[in-house]
Order: sequence, then structure tokens, then C-alpha cells
Amino acid sequence: MRKLEYIARRLALAVLVLLSVSIITFIISRIVPSDPAALWVGPHPTKEQMAAARIKLGLDKPLYVQYFRYMSDLLHGDFGVSVQSHQPILTDLKTYLPATLELVITAMMIAVLIGIPLGVLSGAKRGSLLDHASRLVAVAGVSMPTFWLGLLLQFLFFGRLKLLPVSSRVDRGISLYHPVQQITGFYVIDSLVSGNWSALRSTLVHLILPAFTLSTYAIGLTIRMTRSTMIEVLEEAYITAARAAGIPEHTILFRLALKNAIVPTLTALALSFVYSLTGAILVEVIFGWPGLGSYVTRAILSIDFPVIMAVTLVITVFYVFINLFLDILQTFLDPRVTLG
Amino acid sequence: MKCILKLTLVSSLVLILVAAGCGPTPAPAPTEPSPAEATPVPPTETPVPPTTPPEVEENVFVYAHGPTFPDIDPSVSFSNDSVVMGNAYETLVFYNPPGSEEVLSPHLATSWESSEDGMTWTFHLREGVKFHDGTDFNAEAVKYSVDRTINMGMGAAFIWDAVEDVKVIDDYTVEFDLKYAAPVDLIAASGYGAWIFSPDCTEAHGGEEASEWFDAGHDCGSGPYMIESRERGSRLVMTRFDDYWGGWEEGQFDKVVFEIVVDPVVQQQMLEAGEASAAYDLPRMNWEALDARDDVTVYINPSFQNLLGLFNMKKEPTNNKLVRQALSYAFPYKEFIDKVMMGQATQAYGPVPAGMWGHSEDLFQYHHDLDKARDLLAEAGYPEGGFDLLLTYATGDLDEQQVCELWKAEVAKLGINLECRGMEWEPQWDLARSDPLEAQDVLVFYWWPDYITPYTYLFNMFHCEEEILFNLGYYCNPEFDELIDKGNELAATDRAEAERLFIEAQEILIEDAAAVFFYDLPNNHELRSDIKGYVDNPAYPHIIFVYELRKE
Repeated sequence: MRKLEYIARRLALAVLVLLSVSIITFIISRIVPSDPAALWVGPHPTKEQMAAARIKLGLDKPLYVQYFRYMSDLLHGDFGVSVQSHQPILTDLKTYLPATLELVITAMMIAVLIGIPLGVLSGAKRGSLLDHASRLVAVAGVSMPTFWLGLLLQFLFFGRLKLLPVSSRVDRGISLYHPVQQITGFYVIDSLVSGNWSALRSTLVHLILPAFTLSTYAIGLTIRMTRSTMIEVLEEAYITAARAAGIPEHTILFRLALKNAIVPTLTALALSFVYSLTGAILVEVIFGWPGLGSYVTRAILSIDFPVIMAVTLVITVFYVFINLFLDILQTFLDPRVTLG
Repeated sequence: MKCILKLTLVSSLVLILVAAGCGPTPAPAPTEPSPAEATPVPPTETPVPPTTPPEVEENVFVYAHGPTFPDIDPSVSFSNDSVVMGNAYETLVFYNPPGSEEVLSPHLATSWESSEDGMTWTFHLREGVKFHDGTDFNAEAVKYSVDRTINMGMGAAFIWDAVEDVKVIDDYTVEFDLKYAAPVDLIAASGYGAWIFSPDCTEAHGGEEASEWFDAGHDCGSGPYMIESRERGSRLVMTRFDDYWGGWEEGQFDKVVFEIVVDPVVQQQMLEAGEASAAYDLPRMNWEALDARDDVTVYINPSFQNLLGLFNMKKEPTNNKLVRQALSYAFPYKEFIDKVMMGQATQAYGPVPAGMWGHSEDLFQYHHDLDKARDLLAEAGYPEGGFDLLLTYATGDLDEQQVCELWKAEVAKLGINLECRGMEWEPQWDLARSDPLEAQDVLVFYWWPDYITPYTYLFNMFHCEEEILFNLGYYCNPEFDELIDKGNELAATDRAEAERLFIEAQEILIEDAAAVFFYDLPNNHELRSDIKGYVDNPAYPHIIFVYELRKE
């Protein structure tokens, strides 16, 4: 019962957060010296077009009316229309959001696959060569700027080794002869479902560099978090008991200890997932990845506020709900976590 | 506590996103070393053994293109998307590149005539033209296309402002009845808002509501290529239309691919590696080295775009003709063109750019002469200068910025303090449309035509305006207005006389020094050398008509 009450309270709070974010972005978008009507009509409009645009965009109404109109459209799933491209933002989001999610999820998977084993082992063998090496990896991962790392990887893997592609989601050959059937917008899934193996291969190959670039921060974070919680857990009495019982070391590390050590790591990973949604902006621009980042960059450069607002809200939703989900999940994973 | 932390995080995220929008735009500037230049960025395409070798050896034309395409609805397109439109759609009339014998050529129309008074225009249409959906091109299609564009009122719909009614006379004859005399042949040749499309195809996808369907990567045109697919923000593929009325011959391209590549350095590397067939606006300082290569050819041609500085005619001291003339004498035209533009631009003769009808090289050009400027200032009552001027330009445009910096150094010698203020276009435009007495003293911006007439330059920037739209220097001279309005009327019936009037009007403008006419911009296009048949056409900026090209 307390759980339900807690969830209800958190949900109410989440709505409040979303409301305030929408109000703040809306107000900022309207006080910035920029005329959406001018952007809407294009470079050489007539007076009639300007006046018509003002009415069409509702700019002739008072600010609060504009806001309520925006919010009521939003509740009906309508993000409005980009003032620059005149296209419904929802259509754009349907293409760009999956592209970004595909990239970020792949990055997180890389982080888990590299970060957790390294973290566990360096926690278990403190002071060893592996521990020092993984510390180096973690520090480098967290502190290297992504745009620099991205360019470096491009230079190395494309320029020198000629191994990996550096731009867009699939080869031009795929677009020409084996186009990916658009179902979910996740190319990996779409090409799998439609049995388009050459497209799948091309998609995976194209994911490597940008996803790895994006994952470095999360790798560093995962290594350090896993390591420190492992150290804590390994000193617990039940581990000593397990060792005394002669349970093999890898079972102790990866099953008994990790199970308890993973909770904080998961939290950190989930937060860095959302962090990566914004981090993807840079990576997408460098790797010509047609996702949310490239989209919002273009919108920011042309002061296309409906788009900036929509992307901000989408990222906020992810942020708020992933947090909420995690907190609830924790109460299930660890009964000691109290609700408050 | 935790909630507060999260709130802070969320709001800072919002602030970061929004702040990025408020700051100065880091527009891609040709001479600014970008991080990509520091670390060589390899071309975009993968050298990995192609995962899918094409089934047939196809001729693919790849256009590395910086900007994305906002609108690929033929009624709405009024932007970079015209490079796609020009290959998928056609106009009734074609505006020929400068140097051609005739200004206009037949296209979807085979001939046309206007009534004596220029109020009625009749177009005879080409027979045997098919749209991509298999339906026939006819007078009904012309009526439908023009009506849809006018009714939607978006983009460049205003070019049809004079049209009262479009009448279908018979299957292959269409008549335009006008509200006032206007050159419908020139209007019908516009690269914006004059595309003809299939009524059946458009109606099947929503008629006036079909924009979303078009934007998803479809077309209803009659051009040599059809839009096959579009990956939003990254790639657009077109494929040859087998039933194209012009027919096909060997060496022409089968597919056209537009690759969106934002960084000009990456575009250049793609071109050098043969991964791209064409690009434009590559960094000016690389043109010479690029052209020296055997496999790349750089085409530099005049464009119909020019840079002007409109003087504030209402505010002191620029409301004084002598001051404006003095300032016009103070700009170092030659130095700027030689050093900043690397010789690849020409000083303007008035507001109508070179290569367009209505341009005249007999018009007076101001030149750099500080003594003359000093005399004029003394005559105007400012022997020592002693005033401040505010110049606004588009932030991030390095050419405009350097125009101002060089000018500032020169007028400083006359005792004038010129402030160069880079602004985003919308706020700059807002400032200029506010109270002229509080506005800028000089506004620097580019002008380019929607349809090809001198009137667009003369009317928009210099015709008296009650409510200011583009006459951002507030010039108002009834004598000038009469000349250009008469010229515009005559453009429909007696183009030679119209041209004479437009030139006469420009004489007044130049004598009044209503603006500084800095330079006419060059267009630059870079193509692989094994592609032949490319001719730059400033009437259709950056459109590469791929049908005209042959690969050796």
C-alpha cells in the first residue's frame, strides 16, 4: 500500500516537473528576440504572408493563451510544427528519436559489456596491474572530450586503417539497392524483422564508432562504480562464508557479490543513459548521425523554438521517468531501501 | 534533497539547450579553421568492401549538399530544396543561363504570347509529356498546380500575385488572366513556386494537405528523375524516369543521390576521393588547389545574388545625400575584392546584378577616394567627421563582417566612428522595421531574386513603403517609383523599354547613394572532371540539372 502511495506521489511530482519545464522553455522561447513568423514565411515574404503566419501560429494571441493552446495540443500528442520546415514535429521525432535511442542503447550495452567485468575484476584484485589499467581506462573514458575522441577514432579507423565508416546509418549502396524498410525506426530491428541481412550488417558496422565514442563516459563510470561497490560487498560476512564453503571464485564474484553490487551501478548507468541522450548531440554531429542531436542542432542554429521545446520535453520525460522507474525498481531489488 | 538535485539537473539541461539558441550562431564560416580541419576528417563513405555490390553497374550522381531540405512540396519549396525540385519537376518556361541567345526557352510550354496590354497570357503546351504517376500533362495540370500554389499561399506563392484566373482553353492551351500587367513568362520560369505537378497524384495524397506525403520523400512531377526515398536529415535518392519526354541516351545518370554533409571540409574530401560527384560553396581559399587537380573542375560564375548596405534615409546624418556619397567613396572596393574575395567577385553596378536583364555597365560606380569623401563631408557640414554610425550585418557571415571592418578603418580616417554589429537575421530585421530614428544607420544584407526581374531588387528594397517590409533604408522617391512601376508594367509587353526605365531608375538611386553597392557574388560549383555538360545557371541557384550531364 505504501508503495502505491509512493508511486502516486512521485508521478504527481513528475507531472509538476514537466509542467515547469514546459513553462520555462515556453517563456524563454517567447522573450528571445526572434520572430517565429519571419522564420515560418521564409526569406522574401509579403506582408500578407507575414500577417497570415502570425495568425496561423497564434502569435496574435496573448502569451498565456498561446501556452494553453500549446499544452492542449501537446496532450493530444501534437508537438506542433517546425517553423522552419513546416513539418509536424511528431513525424520528425518518429525518425530521429529511434536513431538516437539505437545509438545510445548500443553505447550503454558496450558500457555494460566492458565496464562491469572490468569493474568486478579490479574490485576483486585491488592493486593489481589490471586494477591500475582499468583505472586508467576509466579516467580516460570520463575525461576525454567526445568530439576529440570522435575525430581521433575517425582518423584512425577510417583515415588510416580504412576499416570502419564514419558517417550516416547505412551505406549508400544499401539506400540504393537494399533500403531498410521503415517499421520501428530502429534499423537493427527493422533489418532483422525484414530479413535484410546486408542492411543489418551495414547498420551494425556504422554503429561501432559513434556508439563507442558515446559509451566512453559510461564505461568509466561503470568501472569505478562497480569496483567500489564490489570492494564493499566482498568484505561482507556472507562472502567470507561462501569462500569458506569452497564455492568457486568466479561464482562468488559474478553471481553472489555482483548481485548485490550492481544496484548502484544500474542507477548510475540509467542516469548516464539520459545524460548520453544529450551527449549524443555532439557525437551525432561529428558522425553525421541523423538523430535527435543533429535535429536539435539545426533547430538551435535557426532558432526553431517548437523543435527545441519538443526535444527538451522529450529528454525531460526520459529523465524524469527513468529516475522514477529506478527508484521504484530499487525498492523491489533491495528491501532495505525505504520509501520517503 | 534528491528531488531538488534532479530538478536542478533538468532545469540546467533546459537552460543549456536554450542558451545555446540565444548565443551567437556559430555559422559555418569558410575561412574559420574548424576542428575538422585540424584533424583531417576522412570522407564520409566507407571504404569497407561494399556489403552489397550493386546488381547492375549504374551511373550514380552524388551531390554532397550542406543544408537539409525543409520543404519538398512543389507549392511550398522556397529554399535549398529547389536542388531536388529542379530534377523532379519542370516549369512551363526555362530561364537560360547568361550568355545564351535568348533569355527564355520553351520547356513544358512550347510557345506563348501576351495580349497588347499584357493582361492576358496564352501558353501552348507540349504534348506527349507524362507525369511520374503515368497521367498526361495538360492544361488542367497547369491550372491545378498554379491554383494549389496560390491557394496554399506558402513559400513563393506571391510570384503569382497578378493572376486573377487560370483558364483551360483546350487540352494543350492555357490562359492566364491578370489583375494587372505582369511578365507571366518570367514568373512561369521561376525556380520557386512555378513547378507543375500531376493533379491526380496530388489529389490522391491529400491535395492541399499533401505536404506531409511529399516531405516523406515522394513527388508528382514530370522531370527526368523521380524521388525514390528519403532518409530524413541524411540522404535523398532519385531514380531515372524511363518515360521522360526528353528521352534518354547513353552516358546519362541513372540515379541521383543527395548526401547531406554539413562540413565543407568533409564535402571536399568526398569529392577528391570520387565519393561525391559535385559540391558547392567549398572554402574559397581551396578553389585554386582544387582546380589544379586533374579529377576536379571548379566552376566560378556570377550569381544573381549581391551584397548591399542600405543607408538609413530618415536619420541624421545619413539622411544627407552628401554624407551618403562620401561614405560610398570611402569603401575600398578593389582592395576588398582582391584580398578578401580573392578576386572572385565583381564590384556591383547598382542593385541589379551582372548577367541579368536590366543590368548596365554604363552606370556610375563609386570608387575608393578619401579626398573626394572628405570634400563631400565638408560640403555637408562635417569637415572633421565627428559622428557615430551603427552598421548591422548577419552574425557569422565573415564576408559581411570583413566588409564592415575594412570600411570602419577607412571612415575612421575621416573622423567617423563606425560600429559593426553582427546580429541574427530576425532581430536585425525587427530593428530595421522599428522606429527608423532608433534603427541602424547602415544595414548590410544580400538580395537575390525569386523570379528573374530587376523589379524584385528595385521594388523590394527601394520603393516607398507605408509599413516597412524590405525597404530597410526607408528610401522613398516618387520619381523613382514611377519609373520602376512603369517598367514592371512594360516588362509584360515591351521588355526593351522596361529595361531602359529600370536602368534610368538605377541612375537616380546611384546619384542618391541610397545604398552602397558592394559586389555581385560569384557562384562556385565543384564537379568531378569526368562529368561533362555542366553549365551554371544563376536563375536556379545551385540546381544541378543532372539530365544535362554525361559521364565519360
